[in-house]
Amino acid sequence: MSTQDEKERLELLQGTLDLLILRTLIFGQQHGQGIARAIQDTSGQELLVEHGALYPALQRLEDRGWISAKWGISSNNRKARFYSLTAAGRKQLVRETTKWKRLSAAIARILDPAREG
Amino acid sequence: MFWRKRNKRSSADFSSEIEAHLQDETARLQEQGLAEAEARAAARRSFGNLLHAEERFYESHRWLWWDHIARDIRYAARMLAKTPGFTAVALLMLALGIGANTAIFSMVNALLLRTLPYPHAERLGVLYARTTGLETADEPRNVDGEQWEQLRDNVPSLLPAISSMRANGVNFRADGKVQYLHAGRVSAHYFDVFGVQPLLGRNFLEVEDRPHGPATAILSYALWRNTADPSVIGHTMLLKGEPYTIVGVLPENATTPLNADVCTPLQASPQGEGVGTNFRPFFRLRDGATWQQADAEMNRAWEHTQRIENFRKENPGSQRTFYSVPLQRGQTAVLRPQVLGLLLSSGVIFLIACANLAGLTLVRMSRRKAEFATRLALGASRWQTQRQLWTETLLLGLAGGITGIVTGSLALRGLLLLLPERFLPVSSLPLDARVLGFTVFLSLLTTVLCGILPAFATSDLDLRSSLATRSSGLSPGSLRLRQLLIAGEVALTVVLLAGAGLLVRTLIHLEALPPGFNPSGVLTAKASLDDVTYHDAAKFRTLLNESVANMRAIPGVQNAAMGLTLPYERAVLTGVTITEGKEAGRQITANEVYVTPGYFETLQIPLLEGRTFTDADGPSAPRVVIVNESFARSFFHGIDPIGHHQDGDTVVVGVVRDTVTSSAAGLHTGAAPLTKEEVIYLPAAQMDGAFLSLVHSFFQPSWIVRTAAPIEGLPAEMQQAVETVDPNLPFSGFYSMSDLMASTLAMQRIEVALLIAMAALALLLSAVGIFALVASLVAQRTREIGIRMALGSTVQAAMTQVGSAGVRAAGFGLAAGLVLCLGTLRLMRSLLYGVGVYDLPTILAVVAVLATVVLVAVVVPTLRIARIDPATTLREE
Repeated sequence: MSTQDEKERLELLQGTLDLLILRTLIFGQQHGQGIARAIQDTSGQELLVEHGALYPALQRLEDRGWISAKWGISSNNRKARFYSLTAAGRKQLVRETTKWKRLSAAIARILDPAREG
Repeated sequence: MFWRKRNKRSSADFSSEIEAHLQDETARLQEQGLAEAEARAAARRSFGNLLHAEERFYESHRWLWWDHIARDIRYAARMLAKTPGFTAVALLMLALGIGANTAIFSMVNALLLRTLPYPHAERLGVLYARTTGLETADEPRNVDGEQWEQLRDNVPSLLPAISSMRANGVNFRADGKVQYLHAGRVSAHYFDVFGVQPLLGRNFLEVEDRPHGPATAILSYALWRNTADPSVIGHTMLLKGEPYTIVGVLPENATTPLNADVCTPLQASPQGEGVGTNFRPFFRLRDGATWQQADAEMNRAWEHTQRIENFRKENPGSQRTFYSVPLQRGQTAVLRPQVLGLLLSSGVIFLIACANLAGLTLVRMSRRKAEFATRLALGASRWQTQRQLWTETLLLGLAGGITGIVTGSLALRGLLLLLPERFLPVSSLPLDARVLGFTVFLSLLTTVLCGILPAFATSDLDLRSSLATRSSGLSPGSLRLRQLLIAGEVALTVVLLAGAGLLVRTLIHLEALPPGFNPSGVLTAKASLDDVTYHDAAKFRTLLNESVANMRAIPGVQNAAMGLTLPYERAVLTGVTITEGKEAGRQITANEVYVTPGYFETLQIPLLEGRTFTDADGPSAPRVVIVNESFARSFFHGIDPIGHHQDGDTVVVGVVRDTVTSSAAGLHTGAAPLTKEEVIYLPAAQMDGAFLSLVHSFFQPSWIVRTAAPIEGLPAEMQQAVETVDPNLPFSGFYSMSDLMASTLAMQRIEVALLIAMAALALLLSAVGIFALVASLVAQRTREIGIRMALGSTVQAAMTQVGSAGVRAAGFGLAAGLVLCLGTLRLMRSLLYGVGVYDLPTILAVVAVLATVVLVAVVVPTLRIARIDPATTLREE
C-alpha cells in the first residue's frame, strides 16, 4: 500500500460508508480492519476507507442497534473487536440497499440518458 | 434506555480498539516487507486523524452541556477557594440570613401550615363570636353550662365537646406516694372529637359526664408508662383526695389541646362553675353537614339562653353572632401576628444579606474584568462567561443554604429554650420537607438577587478598554449602585432597630411599674388545694392557721401569710352587686382575692385607710372586705368607702394601695399585660366550702414569707411547715416575686429577645456591608492616595475622602429608614404600652447606635491608609 495508490482511489460518498459496513457484515462477524479491507477488496481496490472515519461510523451503527460488538481473537491471534449484524441492521440494510439502487439508477439515467434509450 | 447503552462503552475501550487496529495493520505491512517503524508510521498515516476520531467518539457519547456545567462548577469552586476571605464573609452572611429565616419559617410551618395531628383535622372547629353595634369584636369564645347543654343536645350537625380551660395542678396519690400532676377535665366525647382512641380501656361514657356521675379517669401514656401495668384498668387512684377508677389509657403521642397528665369527666351543668363561661368548646363536623348549617343551628340553639338574653339587655343595639373557625386558625390566632411579624423581620434580614452579597460580588466581578475580557478575546461567548458567573453565584447560594440550615436548626433549638413550657400549641418545631424546600427556595432567590447586578455589570464589558487598562477599579456607576444597596440595608436596619427599641421601652415600662408593694425578700410557694379535704371550710381554716403559724416560727422569717393570688398574677373575676349610693343594684365585675391576716403586712402593701384583717374576722364574725384604690375610685366616686356596705351586708373596713396584676383575665380589653385593676380582698376564714372548691379548681393559692436576708433551705422548711399539718400536700413550686413578674411578661420578653436578635443581626450585616465598601475603596485607591500624599495631602484628608462614601450611604439610609418608620411602626401599636409609636428617646437611641456602628465600620478599614507608603506605591506601578 503506497501513497500513489491511495490518490487514485475514489473517496466514499457521504452516507455510503454505513451501507457498505452493513453489507460487509452480512457474511458474518468481522473486526474493523477486516471490514475496511473487505470493502477495499470487494470494490476492486477502487474505494478508499479512511480508517479514522470507520471506527466512529461503527460506533454510530452500534448505538443505533444495527450492529452489535464483542471483543474476540482475530485469525492472526490478536485481540480485536468483532462486529455482527443485528435483525434491525438486516432490515436497515434492505431499506438502504433499495434506496441506493434507486438513487444510483436515477443518477445513471441522468448522466447517461442514451443507454436507457 | 438508549443513553444507558451508549454510556456502556468507555473511551478507553474505543482507544484500545484503534490500538488493536494499528497493531494489526502494522503487522500486515511488516509481512509485506516494511521495517517495523516504517510499517507503524504507514499504518498511522492510513488511519487518518487519530485524535479527531477519538474526539468524535467522545462527543457522540456525552451530553456536552453536562460536561460544561461540571467544568463550570469545578472552576467556580476553584475561584471561590482562591478568595477565601470573600467566600467566608459571603457564607457567614448567608448562614445568618438564611438561618434566621429557616428558624422562623419552621415556626410558621409548625404553627400555621402543618396539618394538625388529628384525623380529618379540617373538620375540627372552635367557637368564635362576632359582635357588632356599639362595640365590634371578633373573638374566640368559651361557653357556660346552659350553652353547653344546648350545643350538646340541639346542634345535630356537630359532634361537640368541652374541656376545662386548662390542665390544672393537682395532687395525685398512688401507692402512698404524692405526685403533683396536671389534670384536665373533659366532656364525654372530647377524645372522639379529636379522633383519639384509648390504647387500653375506653373513652368516657355519657353517664360518667353527668353531674355526680361516677368518678373515673383516663391516664396519659406518659403517666401510665411509669408502671406500664396493662391491668391498670379498673384500678383506683386518689386524685384531689378522692378515689377515681381508671377506665382508659391514651396511646403514645396522643395530643389534645389540653395536654394533661390525667383526665377526668367534666360533669358540666348550668350551676356552679357552669354559671360562667368556663368551658372551652371544640367540635367536629358530622359527615354530610356543612359549617354553615352548624353555625345556623348553633345560633338558633343559643337564641334564648340566659347569657344571650343578658347580652341583649345590657347592650341594646348590639348583635352577637357565633360561628366556627377551623381549629388550627383558632388555636394560633394569638400567636399569628407575632409569628408573621417575625417572618417579616427575618425577610428583611435576608434582603440585607443579599444586598451585601450583591455588593461584594459586584466588587469581585469588577476585579475580574480583565479575566472576563481575556476570556472573551480568546473566543468564549458572552453566554459562556455569563454562565460561569451564574454558576459561581449558584454555588455560593447553595452552600449558603446548607450553612443556613445548620445555623437555623441551632437557632431553633435556642428559641425553644427561650419559650416557657406549654407556650406553643404544638409539641415540636420540626425541620420537615416544607422547611427544607423553603431554604432551597431562599438559596435560589439569593442566587438570583446576588447574581443579577454583577451579570448586568459585566454584560456590557468593553473588550478593548478592559484589556488595555490595568486598573480594576469600581466604575463610578457601580460605586453608586453599592452605595444605594447599603443605604437600603441601613434603612431596613433602622426600622428593625426602632421596632426593637419600642419593645424594649415597653418592657422597661412594664417592669418599672410601681408595684404597690415591696417585692424584694419575699418567697412564695404554691400548692393545689383542689382536694376533697379542703372543700370543708373548717379543715381549710385549720390548714391556713397552722401552716402560716409554722412558717412564722421559722428562724429569720419576719412575716408569713397566704392568699389565693398575688400581685403580678391574674385573679378570680367575680360579680359584685353595689348595695349603696346612686349605683345601687348595679352588677359589676372585679378581681377577688381571699387573704389571711398578715397578707398586706407580709407583702408590705400600704394601708391607706381603715384597718387590715385580723384573726377576729372569722367565720362567725360580720362579713368584711378591703378594697383597693382603683375599686374605691371606680365604684365609690370620691366617697370614703369605709363603713359602707356592698354585696348585701358586707362592710368595707379598709382601703389599700393598688398593686400591679396580670390583665390575662381580661377585665379591661386592650389593657397592658401588667396593669392596675379593681380588687376586693376577703378574709380567707370567711370563705365557704362551695366557693373554695370552685376557685381551687382554677387557682392554686400561694404561701408567702418575708425574710430580712436570704435563708438557706427555706423552701424545705416551708414544705415542712405545711407537711406537719397535711403530709399529703406537696408544694408545686417556689417562686420569687420577680419570677411571677417574668412569667406574666413572658410574651413581652420573648418579643423583645427575638426582635433584638433580629435588629442586631441586621445591624451586623449592614456594618459588614459598609466595612466591605470602604475596604474595597481603600484597596482600589491605594495608588491614588499614594500620589495624593506624595503631593502633600494628609492621612486624615485621605481617610475622610474615602470614608465619606460609606458615611454618605449610611446617612441616606438613616434618613430613608426614619421615613420608613413613620409608615411601618404604627403596625406595632397593639404591642406597645407606656410608650408612643413615635418615641423620641427611641429614635435618638437608634441614631446613636447606628452612628457608632457606622463609624467603626468606616474607620477600621480606613486605618490602612495610614500604613500606605507613597514611595512604595508609586514605585510599584
